[in-house]
Amino acid sequence: MRQIAFVLLLAVCSIVSACKEKTSKPVEPTAALKPAGQKITVCLLPKKKGLPYFSSCADGARQAAEELGNIELIYDGPTDGSPEKAASMIDRWTFKKVDVIAVSPNDPNVLASAMKQAREKGVHVLTWDADGLPDAREFFVNQATAREIGYALVDTMAKDLGGANAQGEVAIITATLTAANQNEWMKYMKERLPTYPKLKLVAVKPSNEDQKLAFQVAQDLMKAYPNLRGIFAISSVAFPGAAEAVRQADKKGKVLVTGLSTPNDMREYVKDGTVASVVLWNTLDLGYLTIQAADAIARGKLKPGATEWPAGKLGTKKIVGDNILLGNILVFTKDNIDQYKF
Amino acid sequence: MVRRREFGVLALLLVAVAIVTAVNPAFLALDNVRNILVQCAPTAIVACGLTLVIVTREIDISVGSLMGLLAAVMGILTSPERVGMPVAAGIALTLLLGAAVGLLNGVLVTFGRVPSIIATLGMLTALRGLTELLMGGAWITDLPPALRFFGTGSILLIPLSLWVAGAVIVCSMVLARKTRLGLRIYAVGGNPLAARLAGLSLRRTRLFVFTLTGFLVGVATLVSVPQLSVIESGIGSGFELLVVTCVVVGGASISGGTGTILGTVLAVLLLGTVRTFLIFLRLGDMSTYWERAIQGAFILGAVLLDHLARRRMSRETMRGHSAECG
Amino acid sequence: MSLNHGREAFREFRYWHESVLAALLIALLVAAGVADPAFLHVGVQTELSTHVWELGLLALPMTLIIVTAGVDLSVGAMMALSAVILGLSYEAGISPWVGAWLALLTGIAAGAINGVFVAWVRVHPLIVTLATLAAYRGVAEGISLARPVSGFPESFAVLGRGHLAGVPIPGAIFAVTALLAAVVLARAPFGRALYAIGNNEAAARFSGIAVARAQLWIYTLSGAAAGLAAVIFVARRNTAKADIGTGMELDVITAVVLGGTSIYGGRGRILGTLLGVLLIHEAREFVSWKWERDELNLIVIGALLIVSVLLNSLSSRRETE
Repeated sequence: MRQIAFVLLLAVCSIVSACKEKTSKPVEPTAALKPAGQKITVCLLPKKKGLPYFSSCADGARQAAEELGNIELIYDGPTDGSPEKAASMIDRWTFKKVDVIAVSPNDPNVLASAMKQAREKGVHVLTWDADGLPDAREFFVNQATAREIGYALVDTMAKDLGGANAQGEVAIITATLTAANQNEWMKYMKERLPTYPKLKLVAVKPSNEDQKLAFQVAQDLMKAYPNLRGIFAISSVAFPGAAEAVRQADKKGKVLVTGLSTPNDMREYVKDGTVASVVLWNTLDLGYLTIQAADAIARGKLKPGATEWPAGKLGTKKIVGDNILLGNILVFTKDNIDQYKF
Repeated sequence: MVRRREFGVLALLLVAVAIVTAVNPAFLALDNVRNILVQCAPTAIVACGLTLVIVTREIDISVGSLMGLLAAVMGILTSPERVGMPVAAGIALTLLLGAAVGLLNGVLVTFGRVPSIIATLGMLTALRGLTELLMGGAWITDLPPALRFFGTGSILLIPLSLWVAGAVIVCSMVLARKTRLGLRIYAVGGNPLAARLAGLSLRRTRLFVFTLTGFLVGVATLVSVPQLSVIESGIGSGFELLVVTCVVVGGASISGGTGTILGTVLAVLLLGTVRTFLIFLRLGDMSTYWERAIQGAFILGAVLLDHLARRRMSRETMRGHSAECG
Repeated sequence: MSLNHGREAFREFRYWHESVLAALLIALLVAAGVADPAFLHVGVQTELSTHVWELGLLALPMTLIIVTAGVDLSVGAMMALSAVILGLSYEAGISPWVGAWLALLTGIAAGAINGVFVAWVRVHPLIVTLATLAAYRGVAEGISLARPVSGFPESFAVLGRGHLAGVPIPGAIFAVTALLAAVVLARAPFGRALYAIGNNEAAARFSGIAVARAQLWIYTLSGAAAGLAAVIFVARRNTAKADIGTGMELDVITAVVLGGTSIYGGRGRILGTLLGVLLIHEAREFVSWKWERDELNLIVIGALLIVSVLLNSLSSRRETE
């Protein structure tokens, strides 16, 4: 009897699919534009709430909200980084009829359906920090493409290891194996590595957003590969863990660690020489620019097709296609890290 | 001294070590072994407490979230930028808090009659949320050196965490085998009805093991978290799964009454080093994607071996009986 | 005399837990309506419901399993494995509808393996599913190389996002399955056998119940539900990845236990599970809607679980030893 029930169930589904749903219409931004005096609600959604990287973006965002006035800024995101939770949040905001959702997607594919639905229901959607699918958002506040990040990581490590002739074994410690962004960066890192023919990638290991695990993996890597010269710790949680492992193993200077992190979190390691360079960008500006853009889009001051637009205290920003460009990747070293306080 | 039951885990461990050392002799280098033992220390410490909990037919899956909370509290109390207490006071409060949460679990289970898996499941979730709230989206990066010593310091060339783990293991073994409290714990787990009829207080025994486990989580936090210089909010995530797996693979029965500290410790060594085994085997890029599957295979293997050993033991006992009767 | 009669009726009323849950649910919805009426709007609730169908589907066989004093920790991992099979088959050019069947078969096979270990090798279900939790997810990661597969056709997405006379399709699937499960558990001999096994496995065996077969069935059904949930998720979110369903098992167990099923076995109803699922869903949705802080959500769900079971055990006169 149970078998019949299951067959029935799936038969129902198959029949249902035969009645085609209306083909998805091209998504038009149908959101009403709010005039300058009216309050708008902007939701800032990070990949993972609780990471200092995103908290500092949020600080910049709050600055912009205060400056512009008439903005209710909501900063919320999944504390465990789950893309499904983020998608649920987008759904809820859509039905609360907020004005703008600015999302940094941890997984562009999982979030795409929620983002598209938001646009269909009249909410402006833009992405920041990481891009979503092109038809799921109006603009992408772009501080660096995956390609730029991947290349910058490899180039920085190579430079610290001796330039074009850099040689030695290198390893990558990533976040989780399924992390979409890290996988993108690694793709470009692997693309860039052949430029330095004497650098050899010997291992890629996950750290599952667990700093202790990154520490242990770095320890093990140094022991198992005695010729290891460099470790890429490409998750902001893994980076301090890996650096600590290098420091405790007394390999400061012999094994270089680089990765992405805020200057505040890595300052100690840069000052004592364990880490030569930290790759990032100005996160306060990124958050600030995102809210400026959100406000401008909601009020009709920024429309698709624009090639530049004034972004408050950041001046005029260039727009390439639908990418609002923040500026350059920053590399923090011993010489300049004290200038940055985020 | 090693009974049949622990034999399975020990055998797997020795075989694995032999294979990895054959491929990469650097594995048995002294400082690598030291690293491995230090990695296993916090798991072993908590697993001692959890073994006793499982022996009393209960379970505690909140240990990972508790570790996260205690790490956050320890950091907030001792960091000069936040509360800035003297390190000794901060540590004492953290250990006290660990014991208090353990006691709360115990109270929910004994007085509230909430099944332990439920009470600690609820705690697992709630404590994680509380930790995130406390940390407020920032990390603690300015830990005082006195605190860092607990994680990185050594006495007589042996890391502090190993001293502490060793002490906890020895004390737990003594507690389990040589004290009346230990007898009571096994009695309560083995046959609660008989234990109660014999006048033992099940409540007090259970309260004790839960409180002890909470305290041990504090100890583990103290010796492992300061190894790193940054405290972040995700510490301990998934730790409970590892610890429970170790206790169970080590031979403790979920239905209570049996289980040894030794078995648990062997299992901690086995499961805690699978990742290291794989790195040292230098299997290359692709192997990373199969890491978790290999871990699962190890667990399945150890569990099956244990299970077969147990079946054979009980069959021999029965055979012995029928020989007497027949 | 009538007082005694009343007291007996009081004790004989078997739906206490479900009544308490229903009361909690109503209280929550009323409070929500007062705080923000938009939350209770039918359209909003229908859309928000899409977040919970997979959880609901998994909670049904989990109820059957927990009634027998067992547990299945591998449901999330089975979901991931099924999803990965669906994704890989789609990548290989197979139609997603056929892939859906393959995913379902994968779930059934994975569940059956659990069942074999529990029923015949006789390892404790906690241990078996603890091991398969790691093994299945590991295999999913391995064969997919941790890559996602997306780009499923719109016609397939209907399964996850479409509506049938205003009811979301996954909701309809869930409703039918829930009804079946309820009938089986409450009326069919199979259901009664499960309660017997939960109450006293040895006694059940001695009284002629095919315990091993029953256990094999329920763990296989759990796998099948995981396969189905995977298909719905992939259709809904247009992505098949190895990390799907992480942490799902704890949510499912929370819902089932919240619903009044005793973790010791022998007690529990599908109705209770339904209410448990609803309560968790509405609590989660409302806390996020109102306070926009993910951390609060965790605290609320944890507290809800403990408080509800606490209330239930404090108010009942039953011995739980």
